[in-house]
Amino acid sequence: MAPKIEVCDLSMSYGSYVVMRNVSFAVQRGEIFLIVGRSGCGKSTLLRHLLGLRRIGRRKVLYDGRDINQEISGGDFYGKKIGVLYQSGALWSSMTLAENVALPLEMHTAMEQDEIDEIVSLKLALVGLRGFGDFYPSEVSGGMKKRAGLARAMALDPEILFFDEPSAGLDPVSARRLDDLILELRDSLGITIVAVTHELASIFAIGTRMVYLDAESKTATAVGAPGELLETSKDKNVVAFLSRGET
Amino acid sequence: MTGSAALKIKTAHTAEIIISGTWKLRGRNDRPSAHIKKILAKGSIASVHIKANNLGAWDSSLINFLVKIFEALDAKNISVRMDEMPVGACRLVQLARTSEDAKVRPNGRARTGTVDFIKNIGTHCRDGAEQFAFFCGDLWRGTRDFIRGKTRIREEEFAVILQDVGVRALPIVTLISFLVGLIISFISILQLSKFGASIYVADLVGIAMMREMGCLMTGVIMSGRTGAAFAANIGAMVANDEVDALQTAGFSKVHFLVIPRVLALTMMMPLLCVFSSFVGVFGGLCSSMFMTKLTITQYCTQTANAVCIGDFCVGIVKSVFFGLLIASIGCSRGLRCGRSAEAVGLATTSAVVVSITAIIAADALFAVIFSMLNI
Ligand SMILES: Nc1ncnc2c1ncn2[C@@H]1O[C@H](COP(=O)(O)OP(=O)(O)OP(=O)(O)O)[C@@H](O)[C@H]1O
Ligand SMILES: [Mg+2]
Repeated sequence: MAPKIEVCDLSMSYGSYVVMRNVSFAVQRGEIFLIVGRSGCGKSTLLRHLLGLRRIGRRKVLYDGRDINQEISGGDFYGKKIGVLYQSGALWSSMTLAENVALPLEMHTAMEQDEIDEIVSLKLALVGLRGFGDFYPSEVSGGMKKRAGLARAMALDPEILFFDEPSAGLDPVSARRLDDLILELRDSLGITIVAVTHELASIFAIGTRMVYLDAESKTATAVGAPGELLETSKDKNVVAFLSRGET
Repeated sequence: MTGSAALKIKTAHTAEIIISGTWKLRGRNDRPSAHIKKILAKGSIASVHIKANNLGAWDSSLINFLVKIFEALDAKNISVRMDEMPVGACRLVQLARTSEDAKVRPNGRARTGTVDFIKNIGTHCRDGAEQFAFFCGDLWRGTRDFIRGKTRIREEEFAVILQDVGVRALPIVTLISFLVGLIISFISILQLSKFGASIYVADLVGIAMMREMGCLMTGVIMSGRTGAAFAANIGAMVANDEVDALQTAGFSKVHFLVIPRVLALTMMMPLLCVFSSFVGVFGGLCSSMFMTKLTITQYCTQTANAVCIGDFCVGIVKSVFFGLLIASIGCSRGLRCGRSAEAVGLATTSAVVVSITAIIAADALFAVIFSMLNI
């Protein structure tokens, strides 16, 4: 079976400024795949490419063996196949948290309003925001925005969830809860998860495999399970990252 | 008390820098350049030892001094030792020196000369026109889908926009139109009374307001008020990733953000324009009441005789077009916004400037077209 996501020789740049060259890796079905690297190395940029928000050449990014551009024009890609949690939450500020979560359900399903309301409160409860449905994004904290963003991302139970730094800005207890939720989503619903993260604790706790983006050589220098990479990698940047720079 | 650094050349190959005094950002401290120059001028020096002697309190001014010395001498392969300096200072210098450099600044706004400046304006205009053309294509497709009923807009959101664009704009439109009517009639009365023709002030104000000033003034007000608000609102959404989030949730940004706004303003502009024309005529009436012997009835009859239905329609047709123009420019500038607070400001400014220019240019074009059609 074709991997869930396959990246072949992808190069990324802003104008003439090259961020990364020739990045290749594959994400298997049901994996928790992590994109790691130092701050500013291009993780969010890579995510933007995987989401099809920037122009991508032919057969550079494949979903289930099909080209991403084909998937997007097919129509069922956004919202149904993938869900995204942005680095800042990116809640729609003119709507309450509940409306934010409800909107994808209203637009993409034929559910009745009361069923939508139930699902919305379920999703908010899963991220620990029971009762915050009537708050506007400007009325909640940064971490709460992020959690509401997660509730919105998983509103339609997509096949793949993308997270940009899910636990940044959360306290250790909430971060741990989030890790548990991510594992649970994978185990019970079979969702494939791609996450950008800096948190070493989460990397080792939840990561099945990871890709390390190296800012110096501007390419992906390692792909593999975090534990194995720490022990066997010969790349000093990878080892330094995974051991908090203590080598 | 100030920070001082004394340079001592010990041998042909070694030198010492003695740091003393209080090094504070608010004080006047020795600068590193003179010492660096002297050391480099000597040519033969291979190692420099930095020592502290009677060093008082210090802050980042000292760190800055040390880092500058390190950078300059390192580049010439001169070794620098500072093991006798306070441990904290050594550590901070070390931290500062191990920071990575940004190699190239992406898409940096280069500081350039006049020729490049003019060239930049050229490219800027071309890019702007190109992107606006793409935007219009998207808008056209979106509108077509909407008219065919393939997509719908969120009613609640549309109602809010409609209210904001229409009812909330009434006070400012009333005030400005009233004053414009007042001014036109004031100036005309001064001139016309010289010929004893002040009765014609009603014609002048009526035709001017219905044909030109009503829609033009509403257009200018709505550019500054609503066009700017559209650009700022959408721009802030872009900066906060909300527009990306719309796309990845499977919503088209044109359907979601642009069509309700364009529709609302295009619907409201003619109403506002008619309203503005009448308020302007009322302004003219007020000033002629005070300055001439005309009665209300005379003024109204004169206006009704002077203004024909054609003038009225000209104003309405233009205002529909202006509404479309202002809303499209506001939205397209918003969607093109960068990802920072500064970019939102730029988007807003350019929305206002471009849309005011555009409606005035369009008004001139309309004047030519209507005169050719004899309307
Ligand atoms: N819109 C942009 N235009 C030009 N360059 C950009 C833009 N956005 C990001 N960059 C550059 O691309 C590089 C990667 O940025 P990116 O946001 O992907 O980093 P990141 O790995 O997500 O960092 P962090 O962990 O801090 O979020 C940075 O060096 C940045 O300067
Ligand atoms: Mg990032």
